[in-house]
Amino acid sequence: MDALWQYQFRIILLGDSTVGKSSLLKRFTDGIYSDVADPTVGVDFYARSIDIEPGVKIKLQLWDTAGQERFRSITTSYYRNSVGGLLVFDLTNRKTFDHVREWHREVSEHILPHHMVYILIGHKSDLGSDRKVSRDEAEHLAAELGLRYVETSAKCNSNVERAFELLTRDIYELMKMGEISTRDGWDGVKSGLTAKVLYPAEEVAEREKSCNC
Amino acid sequence: MGYPSTGVQKSRIISADIPQNLMVESSSSGSRGAEDSRPPSHIADVTDRRDFIMQDMISHTGTSPREESQSHAGRDTDLLCATVGSQSCSTPHGTQLPNGNAECEVSKSSHLGGSHLKGEPSSDSLHGALNVDGVLGVDSCPSVPLTSQSNSELTEPPQDGGEIRSIGSGHKSNPQNSVSEPAHGDEDARSSPDAEPYRKSSGSPSAAVTRSLRTFSSSSFHDSVSTSFSPDDGEIFLTSDRPDGSKFMDVSLVSRNTYEISRRQSAPDNIPTTLSVAASGLTLSEKHGIPEMFSSRSLFSRKQRETTSAPGWKLFGKVPLRESPPKDSRTIRQEYEAKVTKSSPSPSLPSQSQRKNMEFEPMSTTALILEDRPANLPAKSEEEAQRHRQEYDEMVVEMKKRELKDAQKKKKQMKERFKQEDSIANAMLVWNNDILPNWENMRGTRRVRDLWWQGLPPNVRGKVWSLAIGNELNITSDLYDIFLSRARERWRSIRETGCELELDDSGASVADRESSLDVIKLDISRTFPSLFIFQKGGPYHDLLHSVLGAYTCYRPDVGYVQGMSFIAAVLILNLEEADAFIAFANLLNKPCQMAFFRVDHELMLKYFGAFEVFFEENLPRLFNHFKSYNLTPDLFLIDWIFTLYSKSLPLDVACRVWDVFCRDGEEFLFRTGLGILRLYEEVLLQMDFIHIAQFLSRLPEDTHPDRLFSCISNTHMLSGNRKWTQVFNILVKD
Repeated sequence: MDALWQYQFRIILLGDSTVGKSSLLKRFTDGIYSDVADPTVGVDFYARSIDIEPGVKIKLQLWDTAGQERFRSITTSYYRNSVGGLLVFDLTNRKTFDHVREWHREVSEHILPHHMVYILIGHKSDLGSDRKVSRDEAEHLAAELGLRYVETSAKCNSNVERAFELLTRDIYELMKMGEISTRDGWDGVKSGLTAKVLYPAEEVAEREKSCNC
Repeated sequence: MGYPSTGVQKSRIISADIPQNLMVESSSSGSRGAEDSRPPSHIADVTDRRDFIMQDMISHTGTSPREESQSHAGRDTDLLCATVGSQSCSTPHGTQLPNGNAECEVSKSSHLGGSHLKGEPSSDSLHGALNVDGVLGVDSCPSVPLTSQSNSELTEPPQDGGEIRSIGSGHKSNPQNSVSEPAHGDEDARSSPDAEPYRKSSGSPSAAVTRSLRTFSSSSFHDSVSTSFSPDDGEIFLTSDRPDGSKFMDVSLVSRNTYEISRRQSAPDNIPTTLSVAASGLTLSEKHGIPEMFSSRSLFSRKQRETTSAPGWKLFGKVPLRESPPKDSRTIRQEYEAKVTKSSPSPSLPSQSQRKNMEFEPMSTTALILEDRPANLPAKSEEEAQRHRQEYDEMVVEMKKRELKDAQKKKKQMKERFKQEDSIANAMLVWNNDILPNWENMRGTRRVRDLWWQGLPPNVRGKVWSLAIGNELNITSDLYDIFLSRARERWRSIRETGCELELDDSGASVADRESSLDVIKLDISRTFPSLFIFQKGGPYHDLLHSVLGAYTCYRPDVGYVQGMSFIAAVLILNLEEADAFIAFANLLNKPCQMAFFRVDHELMLKYFGAFEVFFEENLPRLFNHFKSYNLTPDLFLIDWIFTLYSKSLPLDVACRVWDVFCRDGEEFLFRTGLGILRLYEEVLLQMDFIHIAQFLSRLPEDTHPDRLFSCISNTHMLSGNRKWTQVFNILVKD
């Protein structure tokens, strides 16, 4: 069904309800945008592949979570199995920005001792006049948490691909450095049939590993 | 209901590399037909243009008696029909198309083929689907033509045929060379978006034309009609002689009955004349010496000729796609019809009734055209020609048979539908007269339970749900009013102070925080967007808002949770406001709903656990398949249970599920889940994690309730000797 991919990353979208997580995903995977769409109840799923470098195709398995606070207890279990997370807030809604810290903390705590690579997303950048969070502030927060910061707009299709690409690349680099690897019982990263071993210590050889995804 | 088809749903699954410049569509794939109900923009364009054109036409128009008698009530098509004056439009039963265009039903054939001719903006023509015009450089986007047209041809004021052709449009615009944009556009749009190439006839000499057109619309038209031409065909034969001596084109370029036409023109012999429109167009133009008239057209046809090499078989799809096949089909159909009506009366009956019943469908035989070998090639030998004719006849017979079968099938479907409607009507009587008045006694009887399973008649549904859900909470309509006014007060104060209640800081409960106006408000507009009734300004927007708001005041400990809007919405669709609220509150108070909406994770896990037990029991293969992907039930059950399937199933099917859920309780929700998995087991076994997950959150549009229910009834909630409740309780005790 899919073209051969080397790796599959499970990436989760986090953030308050209505910041635009689903829109980001729809734009990224389907190339469409709609002002109205069903609210996410529980989890929604999306997929798309990226060619991170010649010969290396990464399949992204994207989990779109319900943002409402009370769903957190459900969604925390999903964090554990994700390798990457987009922390999304709405540039026109101050509160959602204030909650970013909380999201980050909560998720990080939940997945210890595992590793999750994040990227901070300031969404709805098209609504310039309604902006309530300055770029500076956001960049500060990102720096503080050790994250990249990207401002996006699903409506105008601005930086959407870039955001996902950056995150994917960051994860991939960490993989190359050996900091992240596939693990039994962990769904964050899976290898495809023709995955190359990236651990620097080992030879780069074709390794066949049957995989269920 | 406007849910998108699965095709849309599947688009979510695109995982292959998507080109960087993803196209921007206005609809979202994920949601249920969010944008489906909006008409494609180009149709809207055309509509506008047509309006504009209509104005123009009216102002220029001479007045054909027809036209005047026609009510100008707005519908373009009616007017167009009128102006065309063809008998076909004698009874304009304009049908209002969803996109706002009305169409004048002449007959299928005329519709299809002649849309451009008559300039009827039927949606079909707009889509350029089966449009004869297709041949002439199909361009379904009407916006293009206007400008190009004015530049293009206009080579020569086509005298007659030209105008006529663009019959509908031609009517007025031509008269005074109104080679003005509007006129052009007029012609085009009138005909159909695709008609531009036709366009042609722009400024034609006035008076003569007008006169001739008028003549056309009058009796001469009728006179010239061939006998085999049925009034319903709506063919436009312009055969009256014009005062100035030139002849009208006999054939509607649009090619409606080109066969007929060309037959009449050339010697009415055995040898089939060229049937293709293009060809005939050429022939005709040559005959009438107005080649330019079809400038673009003939260009096109010439191209056609070049590609036609050997035997003149033009079978749908077999021939290199010259023009768009649809055009042929239209022509072909005409020809076929002509042939049929000519030959035997009976076969034509089904075809005629088919025509009447199946609106915009071309007959399959229209795919067949027997063409003459183009003149520039060596002629066929007589035997060969004979043989070809025979084969052609056989093919036609085959097609005819197939069409008959299709028609029969359709009839059967209609019959079934009527039967269904009948049974609903009957059921309604039974419910209203026998059951409801004796509710308490009857509700448990076998008979009632069976009827219930089959689905509650829509207008009994609300009542039965209400009764079945009950009112343990003893909420009265007055109580509702109280909570509603409290909610309104709160909203008002929020509006006035201009900010959200900052309950976060005051240590209020999560629920309180969440009952904020924003979340509810936003969710409401996202509820069943395709129905357009819950959005701001929609008829049920406020209602939904009221019910949800009142609930958050009534149960601040629960507050508002995403997913609730769907439940409230479905209730509102079936009940009066206060009753909807009462049902809503009591429904959410049921143990399962409470557990989920309060997100009692522990308890939810028990439900999932129980579900898995029966899952494994009933569908072991699928169970293992899911396990291998680590696809846990929560991933699809949360959505299903929270919204009671109203988000994932088509609305009508969801309501059937609700019916029996009201009868059987929460166990039925999980049984339905298994029914769904059983129904789609084969499909699911082929899918991987992500596709399964996506599929289950948006089940196919065509999920048939009866098939689903049959799967549900084959699902036995029995594991060993234990039933659902027992299994569940055991888990809870752990």
